[in-house]
Amino acid sequence: MSGNESKFSSELVAKVNELWKRYPHKKAALIPAMHLIQAERDGWFSDETVADTAALFGLPDMHVRGVVGFYDMFHSEPVGRHVVRLCKTLSCKLRGADGLIQHVNERYGVKNGETTQDGCFTFKHFECLGHCANAPMMLVDDEKHLDLTADKLDSVLGGLS
Amino acid sequence: MIQETRAMLEFADDPKQIELATYRKNGGYDAFEKALKEMSPDDVTQEVLKSGLRGRGGAGFPTGRKWQFVPKGNDKPKYIAVNADESEPGTCKDRVIMEQDPHQMLEGTLLAAYAVGATTAYIYIRGEFQKSIRIVEDAIDEARAANLIGKNILGTDFSCDIWVHPGAGAYICGEETALLTSLEGNRGYPRIKPPFPAVEGLWRCPTVVNNVETMACVTQILRRGGDWFAGLGCEGSTGTRLFCLSGHLKRPGVYELECSTDFTLRDVIEQIGGGTLSGAPIQGVMPGGSSFPVLRADELDCGFDIESVAKAGSSLGSGAIMVFDDTVNVRDVVLNISEFYSHESCGQCTPCREGSDWVRRMLKKFQTDGPDEGDIATLMDVTDKMDGTTICALAVAIVWPVQSFLKKYPEAFAEKVTA
Ligand SMILES: Cc1cc2nc3c(=O)[nH]c(=O)nc-3n(C[C@H](O)[C@H](O)[C@H](O)COP(=O)(O)O)c2cc1C
Repeated sequence: MSGNESKFSSELVAKVNELWKRYPHKKAALIPAMHLIQAERDGWFSDETVADTAALFGLPDMHVRGVVGFYDMFHSEPVGRHVVRLCKTLSCKLRGADGLIQHVNERYGVKNGETTQDGCFTFKHFECLGHCANAPMMLVDDEKHLDLTADKLDSVLGGLS
Repeated sequence: MIQETRAMLEFADDPKQIELATYRKNGGYDAFEKALKEMSPDDVTQEVLKSGLRGRGGAGFPTGRKWQFVPKGNDKPKYIAVNADESEPGTCKDRVIMEQDPHQMLEGTLLAAYAVGATTAYIYIRGEFQKSIRIVEDAIDEARAANLIGKNILGTDFSCDIWVHPGAGAYICGEETALLTSLEGNRGYPRIKPPFPAVEGLWRCPTVVNNVETMACVTQILRRGGDWFAGLGCEGSTGTRLFCLSGHLKRPGVYELECSTDFTLRDVIEQIGGGTLSGAPIQGVMPGGSSFPVLRADELDCGFDIESVAKAGSSLGSGAIMVFDDTVNVRDVVLNISEFYSHESCGQCTPCREGSDWVRRMLKKFQTDGPDEGDIATLMDVTDKMDGTTICALAVAIVWPVQSFLKKYPEAFAEKVTA
């Protein structure tokens, strides 16, 4: 690939160019850029997206693949239109996270890491999401939902399309 | 009754406090302006030393001393990395500062940069905190437009840029050297210390890593004086501190409190937290996140300060007080804790990578079947061998709680006797 014809949208490339200015070495912008890239590429890193990212940064594919695998927010498999992250760590567990997990399993037919049949959302158990005084809680994409009950959870998930 | 002392959270309930105009009206950036125009960098460090401030990230290292480790002179650029990875279970306080008073963190960051001569600061915010990221980025933009961040700040020859750097979901990146490795664009592997980051951090240049709340304290100290801060709390635990109360409590929340030897950890749990929600007796407390030993219900009458809780055998750590009552099985509690650490082990050191998962599997077996004869001794032996054999402290963050549960609740881990 030649330097100036990236496989990504010009908006994305412009944003990555801005990110590069913040660091003495381009590589440091990798993780911030990967958030933008994942959003542009349907929420996950296919082999092709890994290769395109590596080319954009001049890094080996393997480096990008390693980063995808290391961080829980990057996905190496397709995900639904939304990602639901339910916190399962101690404070949330003590306030009923296990019951909510079971509720999601039964009502929506998805276990940890699975996507609903209609492709609406991928369900993930997550470790501590930092809202322990408002437990239990979940993130739906970027939005947080606190002091959850099964009813609240249903009204949020029921509203997704 | 124990009362909150609100300094950092004085204006946090005003939704307009996130805007620069309101922050300035409430005295914001006055301390920074004064420092730039009337104080030398060393004066700023001296004020922080005088305050007795100890870092709020969990280890409690004296902040002024850390800054003094930064080499003088300008052979290499210097950096500040603000630790906003906030992922220790039970900890949810840095987010309150970022979402409700972000400039207070930025002002402290600028003061730290001025004190050590750093020209760039990165705020490493965990990727899941999208709301914090948005609010802090907006605050930086406003401060930059007002020439409080950037080149020749307020007409002086001090320049410093600040950028938000989002993480992407990995507890280990809260460990300061892993944070730096991650910020450089890698998997978040911790590095061997020494060299400490203050001497060799980002791109092998001197880097001060401080927690978000530490930076907010720096703002308070320069605004109200090191003596004022030192006069709050008690010896060894000066100032005010954000405590996160969670678990089976009537009033979970983030509270700004002074430490004291005049009241106890139990008093805080009862008077601030309201006791247990169900009224059931307390069974145990993790007083500083889940990385330290558990305290049993009969061990809560220690003073409420770093020293006293350490003497009681645990730690105030990151200020995360998690309480569980006797309706929960302690086998489930310790299993949940081990699941966290085995998931979050970065995989670099064998004792932690293999050990944490082995411990988790053993505790899973205990949960369903109970321990067989000899299991507890084996578990103690394996965890002993994880202690002190790894690059970072994540391994002991599983060893300490697990061993403490086995020792303190022996009835829950009674071995089956085979005839
Ligand atoms: C496994 C592990 C996780 C940590 N996570 C955090 C964290 O999420 N936030 C934080 O501020 N410090 C965390 N720390 C502590 C940092 O390594 C470091 O001590 C701290 O950021 C220094 O800032 P301070 O001196 O202002 O407290 C962690 C340490 C370890 C060993």
